[in-house]
Amino acid sequence: MNKRFHDLSAEEQDWIDAYLNGTIEPAAFDALQDRLLVSEDLRAVMRRYLSLDHHLQMECAADGLALNPWQSVDEGARVEAPKPQRWRFKSSMQMAAAAALAFLLGLAFMHLQEVPVNDHAALATINGEEPSAEGFAVVRRLFDAAWPAEAKLHREGDTLGSETFSLASGTAEIQFYSGATMTVQGPAEIALKSAWEAACSEGIVRMQVPPAARGFKLQAPTTEIVDLGTEFGLEVRDGKAHVEVFKGEIALHHQQEDERLVKEGGAWGLPSAGAAEPVEAGRVVFPDLGRLGSQALAQNKADFERWQSHCDALARDPRLISYYTFDRKASGALIPNLTLPRNPERDGAVVLAEPVDGRWPGLKSALEFRRPGSRVRVNVPGEFPAFTFMCWVRIDSLDRWYNALFMADSYETGEPHWQIRNDGKMILSVMVDDARPDPKSPDGATMRFQHLYYSPPIWDQSMSGQWMHLASVFDPANREVSHYVNGERIAREKITKAYFIDRLRIGNAEIGNWGQPFREDPSFAIRNLNGRMDELAIFKVALGDEEIHRLYQESRSSAR
Amino acid sequence: MKAMSEHSNAPNPQEDARYEVFVKKFAHHEGDLRRFVRSLLPNWTDADEVVQQTAIVMWRKFDQYDPDTNFMKWGCVIARFEALAYRRKMARDRLVFREDVLELMADEGVEEMDQRDAEHAALESCLKDVPETQRQFLTLAHTQGVNVKELAEQAGSTAAAFYMRLNRLRRQLMKCVESKLQQPDPA
Repeated sequence: MNKRFHDLSAEEQDWIDAYLNGTIEPAAFDALQDRLLVSEDLRAVMRRYLSLDHHLQMECAADGLALNPWQSVDEGARVEAPKPQRWRFKSSMQMAAAAALAFLLGLAFMHLQEVPVNDHAALATINGEEPSAEGFAVVRRLFDAAWPAEAKLHREGDTLGSETFSLASGTAEIQFYSGATMTVQGPAEIALKSAWEAACSEGIVRMQVPPAARGFKLQAPTTEIVDLGTEFGLEVRDGKAHVEVFKGEIALHHQQEDERLVKEGGAWGLPSAGAAEPVEAGRVVFPDLGRLGSQALAQNKADFERWQSHCDALARDPRLISYYTFDRKASGALIPNLTLPRNPERDGAVVLAEPVDGRWPGLKSALEFRRPGSRVRVNVPGEFPAFTFMCWVRIDSLDRWYNALFMADSYETGEPHWQIRNDGKMILSVMVDDARPDPKSPDGATMRFQHLYYSPPIWDQSMSGQWMHLASVFDPANREVSHYVNGERIAREKITKAYFIDRLRIGNAEIGNWGQPFREDPSFAIRNLNGRMDELAIFKVALGDEEIHRLYQESRSSAR
Repeated sequence: MKAMSEHSNAPNPQEDARYEVFVKKFAHHEGDLRRFVRSLLPNWTDADEVVQQTAIVMWRKFDQYDPDTNFMKWGCVIARFEALAYRRKMARDRLVFREDVLELMADEGVEEMDQRDAEHAALESCLKDVPETQRQFLTLAHTQGVNVKELAEQAGSTAAAFYMRLNRLRRQLMKCVESKLQQPDPA
């Protein structure tokens, strides 16, 4: 394959799409054809794209409309029916069927405005691009948030789309892409409609609307509130609402009443039946971000201290091979291996990776591997019976085909590769035999013999910037490989006899990149992880489900 | 498809057997042929028209077909002529490839059948990762006879939004297919 679709110019891509959709303008069509005439690459890509559309038609067309061309052409044909094919509508019946289907799908289409966000089961993994583009708000901060039993659990950094945001208790700060900020205190139920609109059916809400987001609409059960650039509070309980303006001005539309402007200091009761009436301000205690912020700081510090004691305890674990927390304060270009007794031989050397904020900004640092050359080089001699890799990582994007977590340099027999593919699947592999005679080769050449153990996709673009805990276990004794995300096992695969190996090694290796790729092709060789890591532990044993869950719990922060 | 009816109605067992051989072969390759024609013409209606006409001509000329040669390629050569003929028949304002472009696309396309099959397999695998809502959307977008503009208006959206979404999904699938075809083993 020479050129790929996304190697074409934006103009060419647009032309081809428009041609396929039947919406291309005559002038653009002329230009497209001029270019097609001279570019073999463009023709090849275009044929591939047109065929993709054809295949989509085959794969996705509604099955109810599969018609048999032979029957539709010649009712009396006696030949055996060929495989079903899509055909043009020949009869009014079929047209009617199509119309009915179109109606049903019309409903589905409306539904498409609602977007599942961060549903791990439905991770859109077509190269991880889909979900991020869809949301219109983000969960900025959570303070002691708890969720109703059936409701979706949210984390800081989650993207929110058109959905109902339910909170059992605690406080959540939601930032809309319009610029408006909503602080919600539970129990609450908020229907998020767009970057400019939400409806509160229960709960206490404080809205802060900067000039850029003027016109933000918040609906109470019987009232519409239009924000005219201000800060106001709304409480809804049992269908009754109470609104209070702290700063600026809002417009109230209560039931059928005329629009009413309410200025700073104004407070109104909004009953489910009957007219709006002025009430005394200050009756409701609205959530206070400043106070919550300082509480959060205190919480943050407590979490960090808890993590520090986890870290001190873990460093003493004799099952550890190496343990790095990426704090660079102490020693310049070196990342100390924290296992006790201290073994400076296993310290890591930092190349180009930048110190950045870790999971507790201001308290703990992490390393960022954003630049293609960034890496931490380590040397780990010895032979081991098993591996457990565990890290806290924040992925900003999966830019490479393969994005390195921990990679042995030369990937010889017994050495591991731990990485994430661009579709979000985590991969652990150990080289089983780096020089097996190739049965297909007449001149006795050798081949690399290995098996890749994949997880389902664990990441998509909507999770960009979130910290997550990853672990993968290579367990020869029980002949299985397992993958974990945030303490939960998400995949387990048997190690078959052919791929069994229990003498494991590391040698020279890299964190966040791959040192000695076999090929020079940059799309293959460059594997730096576009993201940051703030803790990495490697064990010479296979940890079980419970222990991994416990280590996750001990090392996490309350927000994460 | 008059020609076919005439043949099949003739009380001639030898002819029947020949017809059956043809239908089997044609049915086997029809998908590929349709895909080939679709890459030359702007929409499904046009492509269907040409495939139908091609089927008739292929059946008429079936006695000239050398069974030792590739049936599919033979069909493509006929389809290429039919597509060109169809193009000439159509009004000038239709957005159909110019003759020189169409010929180039056809001649190069004939040689790419294996590639097309590999892409199809890659697409099937890529589609597995497409969430259900997107899948429904693709179904909708690929259902013939659906009027995008009306549908979008009913849904309180616009045709432009519909196409934007379709383009994005299609491009992502293309990227997935191309990377699958190009992606080496990660070792």
